[in-house]
Amino acid sequence: MAFRPYTIEELEAATNRLLETGAKVGADSYQSRLKNQTPHCGFGEKGICCRICRMGPCRITPKAPRGICGCDAHGIVGRNFLRFVAGGAATHSDHGRSICYTLYNAKPDGPYTVKDPEKLIRIAKEWGVETEGKDIYDLAHEVAYMAMEEYGKVFGTQRWLSRAPEHTRELWHKADIEPRAIDREISCSMHMTHMGNSSLPEALIRQSLRAGLSDGWGGSMAGTEFSDVLFGTPKPVDTSANLGVMVEENVNIVVHGHDPALSELVCDYAEDPEMIELAKSVGAKGITVSGVCCTSNEVAMRRGIPMAGNFLQQENVVLTGACEAIVVDVQCIFPALGPLSKCFHTKFITTSPIARMPDSDFIEFDVDDADKQAKLIVETAVRNFKNRKPELVHIPQLKTKATVGYSVEAIKKQLNVVTNSQVDELDTLQPLVDCITSGVIRGCVAMVGCNNPRVRPDTAHIGLMKKLIENDILIVASGCSAQAAARVGLMDKEAREICGTGLKTVCELADIPPVLHMGSCVDISRMCVLVADLAKQAGCNISQLPVVGCAPEWMSEKAVSIGNYVVATGIDTFLGVEPGVSGSDQITGLLTGGIRDWVEAAYTFEPDIDKLGDKMIERIEEKRKSLGI
Amino acid sequence: MTLFDVIFQGNDAVYGLTEKAVDDAIAKYGADKKVGFPGTAYSIPCYYAVTGTKVGTLGELKDALAVVKTLMTREAKLNDALMSGVATALLAEFIEVLKYIDNDTPYEAPYTGHLPDPVIRELGVPLVTGDIPGVPVIIGAAPTAEEGAALVKSYQEQGQLVTLVGGIIDQCAEQKVKMGANVRVIPLGKDITAVAHVVSVAIRAALIFGNIKPGDAAGLMAYTKERVPAFVNAFAPLNEVIVAAGAGAIALGFPVITNEDTFAVPECLIPKVPVEKMNAASLEARNIKIKITKVDIPVSFGSAFEGEIVRRGDMQVEFDGSRVDCCELVHMKDPSEVEDHAFELIGPDFDEFPVGSKQSIAYVVEVAGKNMQADFEPVFERKFHSYLNCIEGLMHTGQRDMIRIRISKDTFNAGFRAKDLAEVLYTQIKNEFAAVVDKCQVKIYTKPEDCTRIRHEIAIPMFDKRDERLSSMTDEAVDVYYSCIMCQAFSPSHVCIVTPERLGLCGAVSWFDAKATHELDPNGPCQVVTKERPIDERIGEYEDVNEAVKKFSQGALDDVSLYSIMEKPMTSCGCFECICGIEPFSNGVCIANREYAGQTPLGMTFSELASMTGGGVQTPGFMGHGKHFIASKKFMKAEGGIARIVWMPKDLKDQVADAVNKTAKELYGIDNFCDMIADETVTTDPEELVAWLTEKGHPALSMDPMM
Repeated sequence: MAFRPYTIEELEAATNRLLETGAKVGADSYQSRLKNQTPHCGFGEKGICCRICRMGPCRITPKAPRGICGCDAHGIVGRNFLRFVAGGAATHSDHGRSICYTLYNAKPDGPYTVKDPEKLIRIAKEWGVETEGKDIYDLAHEVAYMAMEEYGKVFGTQRWLSRAPEHTRELWHKADIEPRAIDREISCSMHMTHMGNSSLPEALIRQSLRAGLSDGWGGSMAGTEFSDVLFGTPKPVDTSANLGVMVEENVNIVVHGHDPALSELVCDYAEDPEMIELAKSVGAKGITVSGVCCTSNEVAMRRGIPMAGNFLQQENVVLTGACEAIVVDVQCIFPALGPLSKCFHTKFITTSPIARMPDSDFIEFDVDDADKQAKLIVETAVRNFKNRKPELVHIPQLKTKATVGYSVEAIKKQLNVVTNSQVDELDTLQPLVDCITSGVIRGCVAMVGCNNPRVRPDTAHIGLMKKLIENDILIVASGCSAQAAARVGLMDKEAREICGTGLKTVCELADIPPVLHMGSCVDISRMCVLVADLAKQAGCNISQLPVVGCAPEWMSEKAVSIGNYVVATGIDTFLGVEPGVSGSDQITGLLTGGIRDWVEAAYTFEPDIDKLGDKMIERIEEKRKSLGI
Repeated sequence: MTLFDVIFQGNDAVYGLTEKAVDDAIAKYGADKKVGFPGTAYSIPCYYAVTGTKVGTLGELKDALAVVKTLMTREAKLNDALMSGVATALLAEFIEVLKYIDNDTPYEAPYTGHLPDPVIRELGVPLVTGDIPGVPVIIGAAPTAEEGAALVKSYQEQGQLVTLVGGIIDQCAEQKVKMGANVRVIPLGKDITAVAHVVSVAIRAALIFGNIKPGDAAGLMAYTKERVPAFVNAFAPLNEVIVAAGAGAIALGFPVITNEDTFAVPECLIPKVPVEKMNAASLEARNIKIKITKVDIPVSFGSAFEGEIVRRGDMQVEFDGSRVDCCELVHMKDPSEVEDHAFELIGPDFDEFPVGSKQSIAYVVEVAGKNMQADFEPVFERKFHSYLNCIEGLMHTGQRDMIRIRISKDTFNAGFRAKDLAEVLYTQIKNEFAAVVDKCQVKIYTKPEDCTRIRHEIAIPMFDKRDERLSSMTDEAVDVYYSCIMCQAFSPSHVCIVTPERLGLCGAVSWFDAKATHELDPNGPCQVVTKERPIDERIGEYEDVNEAVKKFSQGALDDVSLYSIMEKPMTSCGCFECICGIEPFSNGVCIANREYAGQTPLGMTFSELASMTGGGVQTPGFMGHGKHFIASKKFMKAEGGIARIVWMPKDLKDQVADAVNKTAKELYGIDNFCDMIADETVTTDPEELVAWLTEKGHPALSMDPMM
């Protein structure tokens, strides 16, 4: 049968059916809470509400153009923006630190081992660490320690910056935005925005770029790279997506959040014969682990664990009535899951001191005993199977095929299949450069970011992706955007059938789907490495490449931090949701234009999704034109 | 300039030229003037295949130009570039067809220009068997003539069908590379537009073998991409017209490999390839695997030399079975009697014969193996023709005791002797039949008295015994038939059912061949088909045969009959040697063979008749078949048998006369039945045919109506 992606209507019908169950048990939902919160505060929307000191809160109106301290709208908007970025950078980077800490505690017979020693050695060499004759765990501890030092280093800038092309590094140096210690950039941002410090737009935006870079080329990169060392560097793997991956006859465990450390072990135990036996003894056929949000992306990329849904699906998995446990680590977890789980038999298991919530069972993750905790979690879920209320069970039968796992390393390996051994080098991005230069592929778009109920969920992600691939534009995706693609089938290799001829040809030859899943939201650092390598291979600057970034439905502080490091890396970034800066034309002007003088890229804010797509295609074609290709 | 701009510019330039050429031709001849290529039922082929519209006059060609223009869209996208490439190929074909106005042979040797349908039908089998592993299309002049000739020869030695356009042809001539279809080097023409002739071959292959419906451009491009192993080698400098034509090649799935420094598109357009690496790079890009047969002899060995002719003046020595006693023989022996790889020459070697003399030879290949069967002897023996012809400078014709072998002076001077001939036979038998041959030895006799003795005392009695077995081999006498799907690489839904009395329609697979193929490779193209559940014995329909056909055609066919051309006739792949079609006035059938280029009383040539069927589709009233099937008692048995044959070309009639006369005598008691069958020297007019048949008292006239 000809390939057809699911439509938004089909996805919504499934959600509506689940909401009926919710109504039956008296559950709350984000849809109803959204109604209660609408309209949003107009001052908050524009970023002109200042709550930084207790003289206020102050808000800017035509009659009151300055706060009590005299700060104008530009200062207030800029400070709010910088604090937003700092929040995101802190979040990603602390996640990265936690991974480094896990690596520091890896041991050959412990719950955590080094699964990709080659990558560890590669990073060690990159950092000038002697690897010869060294025990791999000694090396792991040494490198992990160095990585953690990056968070508090007294002098110097981030080590990974050396991965950027020369020209980019010069730009950062000239603009004075090379990130120093990660914690310092976050502290500095908080300091600058304290009452009585910066109100100069240019200074605030400069620091917001620097804080962003400390995330993308610092904390996030550590999170990605050392997760690969611990759990293996992703390579193409077949999996499935959408709510239909949950299996009614099985014990369903849903992992949710961002840090893969615990969920990796949960997946291990779900495959344990003892646990499967236990599941059978309680009347289930087996155990199914599926994922939501970025924890899902992590375990999908590395072991093909199916993806139940993205950010706004987190309540839906509970509403199926077939979820024995939803196990969460950090970030993007609705506190609503607590009360919602109480309407069903579902155990809501929190595991991190970072994300403590009412109405949850707290099983604290501890790196030395993580296997015991993982086993306890799986056992708890299995024993909960018998508490299901059969009359409430309904799993929407939407399920797609997806091929995921495209790390930079995997992309290069995959490109080898289109090389000619008589003339080409292996393990390079040259085939991609050739496809772009010849025009077969017009360019690439990095589709990232969350869902946001401000946008009809997933319409922007999916609508844009379909439009872009029809126009021969290759997509790399991460986070909830990647899951949106997977949910409707755009990561099925068959999706090449709805691409333009150019992209379709490339997908066929290289045996790839048109939307490449590069991982979770910290893995946008992979995209930074990818464009850096692409620019080096093509012999041009990153900003010259026909490549743009896009977060059409973003909502979190992390997303703005990402946006800042992507722009600062030289990639024009298109947002479908305006980042709360419309209250200041100066800040808006800097973000959408002024910063181009520093980093050769800027933001475009465009809530009309169709126009957003047109603008991206236009920008890509402009870049092609100036390159003469 | 961007790659797509270059393509668009080249396409526009060719459009301009074509428009002018067509307008000029109309001004000169008028819009009603007929245009077309000779020897094809699909004129003009590329345009017909892409659009589904035939073009017969200049006026229609002008209309076609407007259609081509609609393909020439100008968005900077691959689709536009590829379709502009296809448009360029179509326009090239228009320019070429104009050359054929009032002239069937605008190309003179060495140039070939347009290749007629029968050539393509003949290529079907070697292409599917991998005997022709690929079709290089070389455009332009190499940096030096030596490099160009070396590249062409490298392909030729691999058995590829090399087509040449432009400067490379002069380079080959300069370097004395033998050219011609028989040595698989085809110089198409000087102008770049001549490339349309090889595109036309690829496209007609899709129509003939693939059952692609004219107008199904997507299906066409998928077929050529998956099944026609062509690729382009274009020499620098590339102008925009060559690049535009190259885009057409890429659209059809043929990669372009060039030594020019230009844009790269992985696996499609591979630039900067040094000439000495072009062969290897091209094979890799088109995923062509060359079967390596390394034979330790002093001259080259490869299928490209199969069609080579050794003329009397170039001949060192000749062995001629029509004048002196000669024979070739495979003999199954007990393993204890055979020493593997042993060779014995009994008599003088080639250097002891006077130059240009006619000599006797008998070569006996003795084989032994646990799974060997006497029935395989003739199967191996029939391969000798092809094995020996692959030797550069050696020509072999005939079979059994009616063989003729010529060895050229060049080959002799390179050191070729009797042991080398033995080595070829040994190596090839062991290569191809390893599953049943454990040991093999070769004895060559060159003394006339030995040859006489072996011929008359050993060979002829063996041949007689085999013939006796063969003549007792009726469809009724065996328990199983065989399916053959060797052609499915090309014709995805065709299945042959091979029976003792009905060989494969390509003429290359007899029941014994199919049996041997099955035993050599049990999971291979030939599978056992039982015939235990007859549905209708008259037309030869069996439930089990139908099940097999359904399975092996992947459900494309539900049922076939073995003996009828009107009811559920067997399908054809397109490689058939002959086609027969009903002739309504005489109540009979006409047969045309591939070699026959003229008209038939059906008002159609072989090519036109052949285009009625093929591609694995059942077409009642038309049937492709092998030559040897004509004399079979099962030939359209349901409709009354060979008594229905009213017409066939003279050459074909001469070839099958003895066998046909014998069958007619046995079936109907008619003597010299072939004298009642008309041919082109009698008439090609249906009314005259009926009059002539009436005069001869042809039995078909009084038989039941076929329709």
